[in-house]
Amino acid sequence: MTEHRRYFDEISLGEECESPGRTVTEADIVMFAGLSGDYNVLHTDAEFMKQSIFGERIAHGLLCLAIQSGLFSRASVPYATLAFAGLRWKFKAPVKIGDTIRLRAKVTAKKDLSKEDRGLVTLERTVLNQRDEVVQQGETDLIVEKRR
Amino acid sequence: MRGTYFEDVVVHSVQVSPAITVTETHVAMYLGLTRELPVGPVAVPDVLPLCLSIGLGWRIQDPPMAVLAFVGLDWQIVRPLRVGDTMHARSRILSKRPMRDGGFVLEERSIVDQHGEVVQQGKFTFLVAKRKEASP
Repeated sequence: MTEHRRYFDEISLGEECESPGRTVTEADIVMFAGLSGDYNVLHTDAEFMKQSIFGERIAHGLLCLAIQSGLFSRASVPYATLAFAGLRWKFKAPVKIGDTIRLRAKVTAKKDLSKEDRGLVTLERTVLNQRDEVVQQGETDLIVEKRR
Repeated sequence: MRGTYFEDVVVHSVQVSPAITVTETHVAMYLGLTRELPVGPVAVPDVLPLCLSIGLGWRIQDPPMAVLAFVGLDWQIVRPLRVGDTMHARSRILSKRPMRDGGFVLEERSIVDQHGEVVQQGKFTFLVAKRKEASP
């Protein structure tokens, strides 16, 4: 909590960043199934998935959404985020065990809010795999503190 | 694949899940798995309740939908959840649209706390299997 954070005023419209990569492992999927309680066969039954169009187990969409959220904090100096307001999101392609995903993010809107100490920052986010294919894409709205 | 197939999904049907108390353990596991930065000693990371609501969806009375893919979501955080709060999910089928392989189902979902207050809400789109795709 002591590290430097960027305030609303220090974030520029149009700025972009890219995160390091993260390889999604079987352990990540097993842990996420345990944490969330989502044991859908898509993520947990290797034999069933051999017969599927994917050919193997795939990562939970929300696991990769959560991972990109963590990658964002490694992509640039973290924002002085007060709250996460919402998101509009598409899961475009499967992430398989061993795939390496990374996040590309761009600030597409900045808006003042009725409370004077904060503003809304909209980011367009693209999650790419090691072949540069888009696996997830969407927009997130963050409420960020202003410098006092 | 087992579950409720596309043909049997009833538009306007409502499901209420069992509840789960969000603990420090959930938060620690989530932060370790995702490497999100902690937001405060008792705050629950905002994506965690969304993840837990999917798991709760597997514990409803009816067989859960035979989901082939999670297509997208449109989601709002109304207020933060805190460690010790007990949440459940309430969902309603808004519409369905058949495709060649399965069909799209649009679901409205709210996450509700122990006081009956909505903490998160939005819409999910799922691709759901048709009956003919039952176990290979």
